[in-house]
Amino acid sequence: MGAATRIAGKDLKLRVRDRSAFIMGIVTPLALAYIFHLVFGGTFSEEALDLQVGLVDLDDTQVSQSLGEALSGLEAEGVLVLTDFDDTASAEASVEDGEIGAYILLNQGLGAAAIQGQPFTIEVVGDVDSQTTTQVTSSIASEFGSAIERSQLSVTTAIALGQPPPPDELAIWGEEAALRPPAFTFVDVSADTRQLDANTFFAAGMAVFFLFFTVQFGVVGILEEKQGGTLARLLAAPISHTSVVAGKAILSFALGLISMTVLIVATHYLMDAEWGPPLGVALLVVAGVLAATSIMGVIAATATSADGAANLGAIIAVILGMLGGTFFPIGQGNDFLARLSYLTPHAWFMRGLANISGGAEWTEVLPAVGALLLFTLVFGTVAWVLLQRKLTR
Amino acid sequence: MTAVLAAQGLIKSFGDLIAVNGVSFEIAEGETFGLLGPNGAGKTTSISMVAGLLEPDNGTVHVAGTQIRTNSTNGRSDIGLVPQEIAIYPDLTATENLRFFGRLYDMPGETLDKRVEEVLEVIGLSERQDDLVSEFSGGMQRRLNIGIGLLHRPRLLILDEPTVGVDPQSRNAILESVEDLSGEGIAVLYTTHYMEEAERLCDRVAIIDEGVIKAEGTRRELVSLVGEKDRIRVTVTGDLVEVARVASELPAVHEASPADSGVDVLANDASSVLPELLSRVAATGANVTGVAVSEPNLEAVFLHLTGKALRD
Repeated sequence: MGAATRIAGKDLKLRVRDRSAFIMGIVTPLALAYIFHLVFGGTFSEEALDLQVGLVDLDDTQVSQSLGEALSGLEAEGVLVLTDFDDTASAEASVEDGEIGAYILLNQGLGAAAIQGQPFTIEVVGDVDSQTTTQVTSSIASEFGSAIERSQLSVTTAIALGQPPPPDELAIWGEEAALRPPAFTFVDVSADTRQLDANTFFAAGMAVFFLFFTVQFGVVGILEEKQGGTLARLLAAPISHTSVVAGKAILSFALGLISMTVLIVATHYLMDAEWGPPLGVALLVVAGVLAATSIMGVIAATATSADGAANLGAIIAVILGMLGGTFFPIGQGNDFLARLSYLTPHAWFMRGLANISGGAEWTEVLPAVGALLLFTLVFGTVAWVLLQRKLTR
Repeated sequence: MTAVLAAQGLIKSFGDLIAVNGVSFEIAEGETFGLLGPNGAGKTTSISMVAGLLEPDNGTVHVAGTQIRTNSTNGRSDIGLVPQEIAIYPDLTATENLRFFGRLYDMPGETLDKRVEEVLEVIGLSERQDDLVSEFSGGMQRRLNIGIGLLHRPRLLILDEPTVGVDPQSRNAILESVEDLSGEGIAVLYTTHYMEEAERLCDRVAIIDEGVIKAEGTRRELVSLVGEKDRIRVTVTGDLVEVARVASELPAVHEASPADSGVDVLANDASSVLPELLSRVAATGANVTGVAVSEPNLEAVFLHLTGKALRD
């Protein structure tokens, strides 16, 4: 172990002198994360989801009022802000002025049509610049319309089954069904789709993306020693081959750990990134650095030159980074890509962080840590065997 | 004398190519042994096996009685390796390079400090010890390359073509430092394709070609092995035919013939025959104005053994 740490210490001194690891491991990811934070930070943040919804109830029946009750309930939950309008003109003006993003128009006769099983129309008018609000408002209106249709269907079915109630009872039955407010249920999203806030997302994304470039400086060093002729000198010394490989792996691990630690602290203070409980983050970072070192170790073991390893490593790092969702949440809305992304350590790192960054217990990170350690076990074993074999050729 | 290095029956193949085929030699304490051969002859493969960098397909290497294996560190402390390439870290200083390798050999602090100073003195880099190696000339880097090999006081020093690409001045400095090593009792294994270096430095030389040692011995033994003679040009005024006749009567003289302003004599050993030869020439009344001796060199031996020149 002494020889391994001496080799790692020597390499660390060389990396500090040529500044390459500093630039790749700290300066570049920090600069990119900060740029992304400035450019996209506002659009991704939760604070930006400000749903201003209007309601124009020209029908003013118990049926139409049930929608108003449902919307008020959502307002009480903090999902949206509701504004009631007496007529469409004032609602439209409000949309024009940007005060609301969309409004729902319930025309006169809606209640009667609903009870009598007649066709009815619910209109949604939205601002072209407020697509998210318009989409959410349309979904609410659609759900309300479906609820009315279901009540109409149940009445129709009863008649078709030969059990027609008396006409006066039918009217009451239909009215009661139509009056039932639509059930909008808001639940905590599952871990699969839980998201980081924009600042943390870009900070973590850039950190883990460039981690793969940073750890390369360690393991690829074996090829540089070979090209520089110093590998022969190391192997002729009274130290084991294991010490040489371990020395390079220690440097990779140390560079990765230093890079991640600096980035976590820097992005926390510069970008308000919320990484989560320190113990959980520490476990995730250690597991992530180990996984990155293992994968880059396999590349170093299979490449024939340091330049070749750097090029191949860059290609692999970019592909894994993109697929793993370090630049954008690639799996959202696409199950196949979401599943595919879990073949990358990046996705597990981001998932682990998402699980704990919202203030959850540090133990929430354990599944992701387990997955990253599995990557380490598989790729680390392959890299270890291949690198040892490379030294005896 | 005890053999510091004993290489027995070394064989190494790379695919279908047999790089080294049955190489055996021994080097005693304080002896400089040369492996002379052209590029691709098997020199570097042989020393890679000696240094424990390559596992032989067959054969053994023992250094100071310990078998050298690639998967074992036993005996490595007795070996100092100076690779053909300049194997140092350009972004470290001379002292940092020496200290790093010294620590790999488990040299304790004070011993290492003292030894680093000594080696820097020997290789003439004391005044540049804190400069980055990248700022050194090629010759200075070569000297540091050798210094690292000497640092831990090995019993066997392996020098793989240490003067390739070196300017004449640095080359001479390197050769002088190698000459000093035998006085310190270090066994030196020196590979080269420069005949002059082998002749100047080596007590014994093995001529290697196509992975096989063609002949081995002192320069004199190798020369006599192939029947090459010393050539003596005696410049005289007088009866050249008579001078040639008396010269040819000497038992060690193979042939003597008149030439321009003198006589050419082919003899087995110029140094032993010269006193008697000059005495007999003087007895004829001829006046000797000059003597030039040219001994057959290893280049000629190599040509004789392999049918090709060293630099082919």
